Amino acid sequence: MFKAYRPTRFILFLFILVAALSTQFVFAQDQEPIKIGVAVAQTSNVALLGQEQVIGAQIAEAYFNEKGGVNGRPIQLVLQDTAGDEAGAINAFTTIIADNVVGIVGPTLSQQAFSADPLAEQAQVPVLAPSNTARGIPEIGEYIGRVSAPVAVVAPNAVRAALELDPNIKDVAVFYAQNDAFASSETTTFQETVTALGLNLATVQTFQTTDTDFSAQVTNALALNPQLAIVSGLAADGGNLVRQLREFGFTGLIVGGNGLNTANIFPVCQALCDGIIIAQAYSYAADTPINNEFRTIYKEQQGKEPPQFSAQAFAGVQVFVEALIRLDNIVPLETLDLATTRKLLNVFVLAGGYETPLGPISFTPTGEIVQAQYYVAQIKMNEDGQTGVFTFIR
Amino acid sequence: MAEFITTYGFLIVSMVFAAMLALSLYLPLMTGQLSLASPGFYALGGYIAAVMSTKVFPPTPQGEIFPLVYLLIEMLVAAVASALLAVLIGIPALRLRGIYLALATIAFVEVVRVLSLNLEITGKAIGIFGIPQPFLNKFEYMWIAAPMLILSTWFVYRLERSRVGRAFAALREDELAATAMGVNPTYNKVLSFTMGAVLAGVVGAVSAHFLNTWNARQGTFDAAILYLAFVIIGGSRTYLGPVLGGLLLTALPEVLRALAGVEFLPAFVAQFLVDGRLIIYGLLIALATIFFPQGLITPTMLKRLARRGT
Repeated sequence: MFKAYRPTRFILFLFILVAALSTQFVFAQDQEPIKIGVAVAQTSNVALLGQEQVIGAQIAEAYFNEKGGVNGRPIQLVLQDTAGDEAGAINAFTTIIADNVVGIVGPTLSQQAFSADPLAEQAQVPVLAPSNTARGIPEIGEYIGRVSAPVAVVAPNAVRAALELDPNIKDVAVFYAQNDAFASSETTTFQETVTALGLNLATVQTFQTTDTDFSAQVTNALALNPQLAIVSGLAADGGNLVRQLREFGFTGLIVGGNGLNTANIFPVCQALCDGIIIAQAYSYAADTPINNEFRTIYKEQQGKEPPQFSAQAFAGVQVFVEALIRLDNIVPLETLDLATTRKLLNVFVLAGGYETPLGPISFTPTGEIVQAQYYVAQIKMNEDGQTGVFTFIR
Repeated sequence: MAEFITTYGFLIVSMVFAAMLALSLYLPLMTGQLSLASPGFYALGGYIAAVMSTKVFPPTPQGEIFPLVYLLIEMLVAAVASALLAVLIGIPALRLRGIYLALATIAFVEVVRVLSLNLEITGKAIGIFGIPQPFLNKFEYMWIAAPMLILSTWFVYRLERSRVGRAFAALREDELAATAMGVNPTYNKVLSFTMGAVLAGVVGAVSAHFLNTWNARQGTFDAAILYLAFVIIGGSRTYLGPVLGGLLLTALPEVLRALAGVEFLPAFVAQFLVDGRLIIYGLLIALATIFFPQGLITPTMLKRLARRGT
């Protein structure tokens, strides 16, 4: 009796679906703004980082348009949400590439980059990663670059700064969250740095980002009497670990990984956060003309100091704009079709040097960032034990 | 049309995969077993394909595509591995019922995740990347995905009308009565569980290539809930339910994203469609469960349609 079943309603539904999707293609081939894609995580558990990136990119859009855009032609950001997963990144990238952008700033996570960047490479669209720090990102292809310095370059600066503060450091205890991609790749760098600096790697303790009780790890480590503790984790677990280290009587210096590089840890370890040393790819205190302008605009809008994620997204948009200007000076953009623009833009991005809020940057031929300066900050908690600031010590 | 395929090729293939993953959850449900183990087998299949294609098979020369035969071998290995593991896990786990079985299968998914976070071969937290591509673009995955969906749907359709399928249904409706009539509960439950696992494992193997990378974030507990939503929204009493649920719920967020591009929409509506698409998505799911408590497709509806047809 099921033989007679005719799925007419489904076919009708499919037609509506197809019709709804195809309306997307009715875009005008307008001469006007040059489109730059921004595909970062605006939803999911990565959204806190993605939102900072959106703010940074939007400041860049307004800032460079006020300065005349690309030789008089304005730029326009095309924002698409990648969410926190791989499929979301691919969906956002395909949508953005179909929207005729000349280049893409994104995605937020390194794992998303491994998934979505090959599409941009295949479509020959230049990509600048604002926050991918894992090994192997620029190697995905010739169109893939990044403005975020890899963790292997940034992290060692914190250990060196700790040695300057306390030259008597000999034994080091390392802690890391083994279920976090960033923390587990960061800890490798930390451990290599410790050995390279001639220090003794006394113990390596692991935990999960979901843990709240670290007494076993802390007791194990403190039995070896280290003078320096290095913690790679996320804000909640890292903050709790720091608090318990101090509560168990650890008096040495603490170096935190990039996951602790946020004001969100202040409510977790409160007054005990004081003194955590964290390496930075960006310092809001850097006294350069472009950073001062960026910092002023950000503070006016958000009422706080700009974080690294916003500065890196700003730098990503800036690199595209400045490369487009140099390209336009040699070959007027109106004379080029989209595919050629993308191809030439990639060449110009990699060839130039840029004065960004991150300091002067340039790229290697594979697309890896060459950043002139890194910073180290130390947390100073206020009297109330609830608020604090990152003060730059290097 | 070419442009449509470039833009939505990935989405269309994702929809097909989602439909099959929903079916993999539906299979144990045919015997009344709520198993959330599918993402675990999906992850396992993905890791098998990722490891084999990057470490076992000879590297694909620059500019050439990954041989399709290798992909088929990976799918076969994933199927066999999933089947063996499913039998091993299924025999003890299926002694549990209802919510306890669901809990045990969630534990299995967690075990797979924690293992893959810690093993060297699975690339730890970063995972495995640079997985070679057997096709030139994402839409060409339909050459694998479409036959797989048609075969698995046809298989489940035939299964529902076979002796085994009726035994499954009998177990679902009343295990005690079915056992009294000579239906072997353990055998049939493990069989349905294993079939679901094999389907999830094979889909995982293709997905690893499809997503370019594979890591411990694939096939987690969140995914299990999503697959369950496919089945519940689509309808849990007929093979077409999960298929439709998987197709629909995967497409929905992207359709909402695309709707924002419609020209005559006022700017704030378009903006809300982009920023608020997950709010709308959640709302539609909530409304669907209220107005279609049995799912979008129910056996009664199919019967009514069939009667109208004759």
